[in-house]
Amino acid sequence: MRKLLSMRKRYEEFWALKDISFEVHMAEALGIIGHNGAGKSTILKLLSRITTPSSGEIMINGRLSALIEVGSGFHPELTGRENVYLNGSILGMMRREISDKLDSIVDFAELRQFIDTPVKRYSSGMYVRLGFSIAAHLDPDILLLDEVLAVGDAAFQRKCIERITDLKKNGTTIVFISHDLKAVQQLCDRVILLKNGRIEADGDPNETIDLYRNSSTQLSSQSTDGFAQEPSREAVVTSLNFYDENGNECLSFETGKPMKAALNYRVDKPLRDVVFEVQFYSQEGRLRSFFTSETLGGTIDVEPGQGSIVFDCASVGLWPGMYFIDAGIRNRLAPYGIDIDWRRRCLAVRIDYDRHLRDTFYMPYICRHSPPPILAHEWPQRSTITQHFS
Amino acid sequence: MVTPVTALPRSSHSRPIRIIRPASFSPFDLWGGLRELWQYRDLFYTLTVHRIKVRYKQSVLGLSWAILQPLSLMLIYTVIFSVIAKVSTENVPYAVFAYAALLPWTFFSSSLTNATQGLVSHSQLVTKVYFAREILPLTYVGASLFDFAVASTFLVALFFYYGVRLTAYALYAIPILLLLAALATACSLFLSAMQVRFRDIGVAMPLVLQLWMFSTPVVYPLSAVPLRFRGIYAFNPLVGVIENFRRAVLQGVAPDLYSLLISAIISAVLLPLTYLYFKRVEATMADII
Repeated sequence: MRKLLSMRKRYEEFWALKDISFEVHMAEALGIIGHNGAGKSTILKLLSRITTPSSGEIMINGRLSALIEVGSGFHPELTGRENVYLNGSILGMMRREISDKLDSIVDFAELRQFIDTPVKRYSSGMYVRLGFSIAAHLDPDILLLDEVLAVGDAAFQRKCIERITDLKKNGTTIVFISHDLKAVQQLCDRVILLKNGRIEADGDPNETIDLYRNSSTQLSSQSTDGFAQEPSREAVVTSLNFYDENGNECLSFETGKPMKAALNYRVDKPLRDVVFEVQFYSQEGRLRSFFTSETLGGTIDVEPGQGSIVFDCASVGLWPGMYFIDAGIRNRLAPYGIDIDWRRRCLAVRIDYDRHLRDTFYMPYICRHSPPPILAHEWPQRSTITQHFS
Repeated sequence: MVTPVTALPRSSHSRPIRIIRPASFSPFDLWGGLRELWQYRDLFYTLTVHRIKVRYKQSVLGLSWAILQPLSLMLIYTVIFSVIAKVSTENVPYAVFAYAALLPWTFFSSSLTNATQGLVSHSQLVTKVYFAREILPLTYVGASLFDFAVASTFLVALFFYYGVRLTAYALYAIPILLLLAALATACSLFLSAMQVRFRDIGVAMPLVLQLWMFSTPVVYPLSAVPLRFRGIYAFNPLVGVIENFRRAVLQGVAPDLYSLLISAIISAVLLPLTYLYFKRVEATMADII
């Protein structure tokens, strides 16, 4: 049985978790969901012993491994092979165990030809593949997973899910903490919904996820991250929904594919010169991109009543990962931070990608190939080639 | 609710039971901590090797840096104390006299300097993964010990050059070195844990180490210290260690067991205390680092 009571931080007294008690059975896959700040990562940190509870008790039966951020122990100067040893031993493996599993780790990561290259020359996808592959070979009794599956290309993600499913079949207990509802639904037998450090719901994945979905899309009925709605608002964002290219409501997209966001609002008295915005924040809390109604040009004046604004994006340029969404209405001339209504981190959107994406930027392009007739006498001499490359 | 699923037979290891409670500190924690440290011995090895590798990767002089550091200090002090101001070194050439003490001193001071930053510079790791955190400062002590081994080859060269002959007393260097390593470990544990909370420690370190070196018989012999100060002087645990290291290796005489005993008692007290302090800070380290 595991019991989590609380965790106290310094300075201002703040209980990240309070009166929490739950059990996870052997070979069960438990998902933990909730808004940012609900206490998910604190649970993970307590279970993985990164930090210690200030009261309460946790009992863990079996070897536990936490996969919180893949590759966080990597050293850029060392080669892939050296990093496997380094990262493996940080995660609690013995050197012999690593040597035995090295081939399997390298093959799973599909990095055989790059294994003796310093990891500073790896693309981010390669980095993640190697990191996950090491962790996937830990062979723990209990596996803690964070947002790890939100990175990497689609094919590798499928492989990861398969691997985790295999582990589960073999009796590994899984605790999966994520915003990625699709993956939670796919993996978990049971889901806990956290809200403000307490358990809001605990049970069937579909029911719990629906409960969470309802609380996050209907903004008027929720208070996200303690940003309670003040009754005297002149205008409120009532809902925010994302749609895929077929018009279905959706929270996961792919880089390069279309995305549509619809923001519904209610206005109580006439407002002059307002701006509607939807912002995308990375997991580290950095603003990565945003939609704004300022692109319409001119000024937007609104009369009392309901309305909606749609942002239609033909090609998502965001890098793969989880993004947290802010949505709001503000006066165009008001300084930043002074808003008519602002919904902070009200949704989480997941961006995937396919294999042909590398490095930092996504540029939409179309590739055309018109092969010229190659004549034998036009072929460059061997010596010219050598000269060219030396 | 979900009914428990019977697990399929898995790999043969038994399932350890661990109970996590709020940190409470008693001397009994010492045993549990040490047992866990032993489980992480491979991490200690891998990280120490990694430190050494990373330090000398992409550097032209490579390993010779381990020698250059005590060597350049030796040259400076030789000029100061045998050319400008004369210090009596009991008929031993000043260069080899200074180097024989700068060698263990450099091991001690570089352990402390690096270990102090050890936890903070790995905050990425500390907030993401659990492992016995004392490994981090300990690997710096280990890497400095490696540098010590490299730098001692130059001491051997100096012995050949000056015609110094080793005696059987040189074997005392081994327990003396262990004592020095124990002191370096105790200080590293304490300072690295303090540095997590108070970054002043890292800033103060160069100054503290400089003062410490001059209150230790490194660049002058113990005999140069006036008798009336010796009582207080001996409470510096490094006095017995450094002076006796030089006596055993260079002068080939029996060590002064009384001063060694003082150092041994101090380190026997400090080591468990600093370890418990470290474990206490470790409990909440990830939140404040």
